[in-house]
Amino acid sequence: MMVVYNEAARFLARVLADLEQWVDQIVVLDDASTDGTGDICRACRRVVLYERNRENMFSTHEARLREKLWRMVETVRPDWILAIDADEIFEPRMRHEARSLVEQDYYDAVEFRMFDLWGSEEYYRCDGQWNPWSRFSRLLVRYRPGRGYTWPDLPVHCGRWPLELRGGLPVYYSDIRVKHLGWVRSEDHLAKYLFYRERDIRMYGRPSEHTESVMAPPSRVQLERWREGKVLPL
Amino acid sequence: MNATATARRKLRTGPRTVGILTTNHFSPDGNRVVYGGAERYALELSRLLVDLGFRVEWWQIGTGWQRELMPGVLVRSMPAPDAPYQTLPQLNQLFNERAVAYDLAIYFVVFLAYPSAVERSIAISHGIYWDYPGFDALNPTARDREEWLRRLWIALSGPRKIVSVDTAFIQWANATWPGLAHRFEYIPNFVDLEVFAPDGPDGAATEAGRRPVRILFPRRLTGVRGLNEMARAAEILTAARDDVEFHFVGRAHDDKLEKEVLEWALAHDRIYYYWKPPHEMPRVYRAMDIVVIPSRSSEGTALSCLEAMAAGKAVVASYAGGLPNLIIHGYNGILVRPTVENLVTVLDDLASRPDVRATLGARAREVATCFSLQVWRRRWTRLLEEVLGEPLEGSGITAELAPPPPAGT
Repeated sequence: MMVVYNEAARFLARVLADLEQWVDQIVVLDDASTDGTGDICRACRRVVLYERNRENMFSTHEARLREKLWRMVETVRPDWILAIDADEIFEPRMRHEARSLVEQDYYDAVEFRMFDLWGSEEYYRCDGQWNPWSRFSRLLVRYRPGRGYTWPDLPVHCGRWPLELRGGLPVYYSDIRVKHLGWVRSEDHLAKYLFYRERDIRMYGRPSEHTESVMAPPSRVQLERWREGKVLPL
Repeated sequence: MNATATARRKLRTGPRTVGILTTNHFSPDGNRVVYGGAERYALELSRLLVDLGFRVEWWQIGTGWQRELMPGVLVRSMPAPDAPYQTLPQLNQLFNERAVAYDLAIYFVVFLAYPSAVERSIAISHGIYWDYPGFDALNPTARDREEWLRRLWIALSGPRKIVSVDTAFIQWANATWPGLAHRFEYIPNFVDLEVFAPDGPDGAATEAGRRPVRILFPRRLTGVRGLNEMARAAEILTAARDDVEFHFVGRAHDDKLEKEVLEWALAHDRIYYYWKPPHEMPRVYRAMDIVVIPSRSSEGTALSCLEAMAAGKAVVASYAGGLPNLIIHGYNGILVRPTVENLVTVLDDLASRPDVRATLGARAREVATCFSLQVWRRRWTRLLEEVLGEPLEGSGITAELAPPPPAGT
């Protein structure tokens, strides 16, 4: 499942081209895009449900947007749900190993290390809270029909999952890495910083340390070279 | 059934209960679990106890959080601020206070039974853990060493029984304190022979021929497991011949090492680093040709060694801890001192000799049948009945003194 907004000139086509190799269905909620985002989505053979909002909901009440997408996903009767953004892409191993990750009874959620590629696709950021090695993100969850799923009444920073899927599910921490391409273009940093800063202030009254670090001087930004992973020969 | 057991049975109002004290099934913050042998032992022991009708509750180091180890089995946490002489006396005492409510207590690691054990209790030795060079520096003076030994003696003296996964620990203890001999029960580790098998529906078990010879190191990434020697051997062999491939499969205890090993593997052709969920490991074993268990120390009867044997692979192991309980050198595997030179020599040789690999692997599978999960469950059940002094309903125990017949008979 994916929320999109004006992604035509960004990474959406690439992300969908990858996803269609290893997911069965893609459900997209377009949050009132004004570019060719809808055309890209409709051209993807795995997109089984696409809907476009008339008004942008992300800027007014994110939880309602997420809940709307969730209700759309429930209609296609999924077994597992991948919550992914239009600028996140798994390393190629996932195409070969996704099925084995979900065909089991041991765990109900899979978390992955997310790498924020920074200024190009050659490097990822690793200082402070950007360090991808010390945190895992929950992106894949088993769906159990009939269970009540609820969302917090949060206009911003509401998270990708309903409340029932955030806590103590049996989790597997995968070593398959995810590239976040949202910071690849340096020219976007200021606009994104201002956007998140404003949302932090609305939610918390002040910008978070992480948001402030977006505009940290180069001397405080630590980068490491991204090395493409190997597909396992098994 | 003795009189005490009868009285206890009358007092019981619900299912039997067992409390198990461990150190770190989850990391102390509760956020990480590395599925090594101890963690899988914990799962199988929990499954057995649940199947026997026990309500099972685990305790470990932590800040008060609780997690599920498996459906219906909780792990609760308690603080353990100090670890003098490699013991956790405060954790022991906090647990023992709670253990009055249990029918049975299990100290999952021997030293957790220091300074005291409750009356109906069992401690488990997973092997000698003080045979690595750094341990001496932890107890650098004769007085320190004496105190550490004194505490170990107390830990071994308290529980009704000590389960040891290998004979090395029992022999050391018998030679050191002969009076404790009656407390030990040798229950070697286990393997599920149906899950870990030479052939499976995945078709992974193709022998080398048109593909490189695959060599597996299926351990968590620590020095005592021989990681560094194995990594150097992999560098040398992949440079010397283009028909070998190395797979390092397992997590580390810290993120930094996982990062370093991944970057190292990505920089070398035909060296892979990854980990897999437990249900995928049988397929990983099937896809390999040689499995290496080059532990330097702190070893019992390693589950990974048994799983490799059950999968019918040629196993190269060190003779640390209980590995010689599993491998007879030259019959069902190769035992070596795990130096880089020895590993390179034996792996180079085995990589060139598919016939030897096949013979060792077939015998390894045969020997693995003596360590089946069913045998392990029966032995544990019998021990539980002995300690509790009463039969466990539905256990279906039958005498099992002789080993099972060889495969195919």
